[in-house]
Amino acid sequence: MPAPLHMRALFRRLPTDLAIVTVFNVLIAVTLTYLVRTGSPLSVNLAYSLCIGTLALLFCDVPRLLLWGEGKPPRLPFFLILAIANPIAWYLGVGIATHILGIPRENFTLARARNPTGFLTFFALVSLFICWYFWNRGKLQLLAAEAATEKARTAAIEKQAMQAQLQMLQVQIEPHMLFNTLANLRGLIALDPPRAQHMLDQLIQYLRATLTSSRAEKTTLDQEFALMEAYLGLMSVRMGARLSHDLQLPDALRDLPVPPMLLQPLVENAIKHGLEPKMDDGHIGIRAEQQDGMLILTVADTGLGLDAPVSDTPGTHVGLANVRERLQALYGERATFTLTPNAPTGVIARLTLPTRP
Amino acid sequence: MTSLRAIIAEDEPILAYSLVQTLNRLWPELQIGAVLENGVAAVSEALAQHPDILFLDIKMPGKTGLEAAQELAEDWPEDIPFPLLVFVTAYDEYALQAFDQAAADYVLKPVSDERLAKTVDRLKARLVQHQERNGELERIVGQLRALVPAPFATTERLSIIRAAVGNQIRMIPIGEVLYFEATDKYVNVVTADSESLIRTSLKELLPQLDNDRFWQIHRGTVVNTACIQAAVRDDSGKLSLKLHGRSESLVVSRVFSHLFKQM
Repeated sequence: MPAPLHMRALFRRLPTDLAIVTVFNVLIAVTLTYLVRTGSPLSVNLAYSLCIGTLALLFCDVPRLLLWGEGKPPRLPFFLILAIANPIAWYLGVGIATHILGIPRENFTLARARNPTGFLTFFALVSLFICWYFWNRGKLQLLAAEAATEKARTAAIEKQAMQAQLQMLQVQIEPHMLFNTLANLRGLIALDPPRAQHMLDQLIQYLRATLTSSRAEKTTLDQEFALMEAYLGLMSVRMGARLSHDLQLPDALRDLPVPPMLLQPLVENAIKHGLEPKMDDGHIGIRAEQQDGMLILTVADTGLGLDAPVSDTPGTHVGLANVRERLQALYGERATFTLTPNAPTGVIARLTLPTRP
Repeated sequence: MTSLRAIIAEDEPILAYSLVQTLNRLWPELQIGAVLENGVAAVSEALAQHPDILFLDIKMPGKTGLEAAQELAEDWPEDIPFPLLVFVTAYDEYALQAFDQAAADYVLKPVSDERLAKTVDRLKARLVQHQERNGELERIVGQLRALVPAPFATTERLSIIRAAVGNQIRMIPIGEVLYFEATDKYVNVVTADSESLIRTSLKELLPQLDNDRFWQIHRGTVVNTACIQAAVRDDSGKLSLKLHGRSESLVVSRVFSHLFKQM
């Protein structure tokens, strides 16, 4: 199977290369006329150098770009092309220029014979110089490309490091939550053993999910909702009738991959700052839906609301800043996160994520 | 010994229930007067029942256990001994020693039977020293104040109070305010010739006031020191302030009475 031809590279690169070579060609003509003093007028030298140079470029550069694109060509085949293309370009270029100028072919060879060594040496040097120039430019481009990939790789590593750091921040299960849950479990064992067992199962599920999902790169909505179900189950035992909850996850979205521990902090916030400090009963609803190729995750609570006096437990803003930072790191500008008041009381937290990372 | 009564403030029903069960088992003579699930209800119930012992969860909706205790200390009648306090918390976030000063005991959740048995022994021992408990109130009050976290002091100082009166916003220079008085959800701003309400709590207002010029003298009152004429103690030992050019006097609570000691 032949390698695909790099048409795009050709169209992108060739005009620039042509322009550069044209500049060289003019310089060559000027040099020949005023420094090497071949005895021909500038117009004649210009015609020859433009014809030869442009042809040489076309014969060398077009195959190079088509075969290897803008990268560094393999050394041997490229030199082969140069070795074949340059004499052909020389021969054809001279022919075309002579034809254009209307000079009989014999005259040209005679004219050249005035200073043949100088002319030939000059030609060889110029050819070598141009080849070396383009070769180097290829190498420079390659280096620039390498630097760019290196930069991208560094950015990726930094992003990963940041993710790891954020996950570390989130994996800290609140001691309060844990000890309170254990205290409830202890009470339930004497009071209602089957319910205690169920609560223990939920605690295990919560701990497992919290401790492992944060280490995983990706999780599914299904797993994330199971984790929240376990967490809210625990909180319902603790808060009794004060907390009611419902989770809505359409079957079609169950296997959708989502970053771990993005939704969980929002749910914990709603409980910790909205519903737990509230004296009356409250509700939390969590919903996933898809709209215009975006995944919308909503956490709505009927708690104290955004303008509740700041409690003695700071940390909400840290948590929210974390969510924002993570979104930025994972999706850049493509994801949004909003906090709006819920009616009549409470907060609605909404995450909008692209379904494809 | 008359029957002893305790009140339990705990917002988690199962924990409250097991505490009641365990106490019934370990100390059958102790009556549980009420179980409340928030700090506000705990305060009003305690003031109504005057129990001998209070079990206070630190983290509760409405008011924390510490705030509830402080409020009770302010409003507790002189002639009734202040209840022994037991703070209950899930997590050791406060210095244990501090609690030992103010409380009879301080227990961590989950509370084991052995630990609660120790608490019961301590309480019984403390109840024997019945007379001591009266003088203790002053001491407890001071300790409690130290325990309640101070509001975050902001560097921004209010120089103008913007208060809505009807459909206009009145601009009141802070120097003209005689005192701030907390009502249910608002704060009443009293000047020599007006009273206007602002929609903020005293808690939020305090950090923005210069605490040399404005003193809190009660959990619901902050007074401009320049307006104080004298502090007067009545026969029952209650302290109140007379203000320049005002007929009303302001009550100083126990918690803040130390501000008006002689130099």
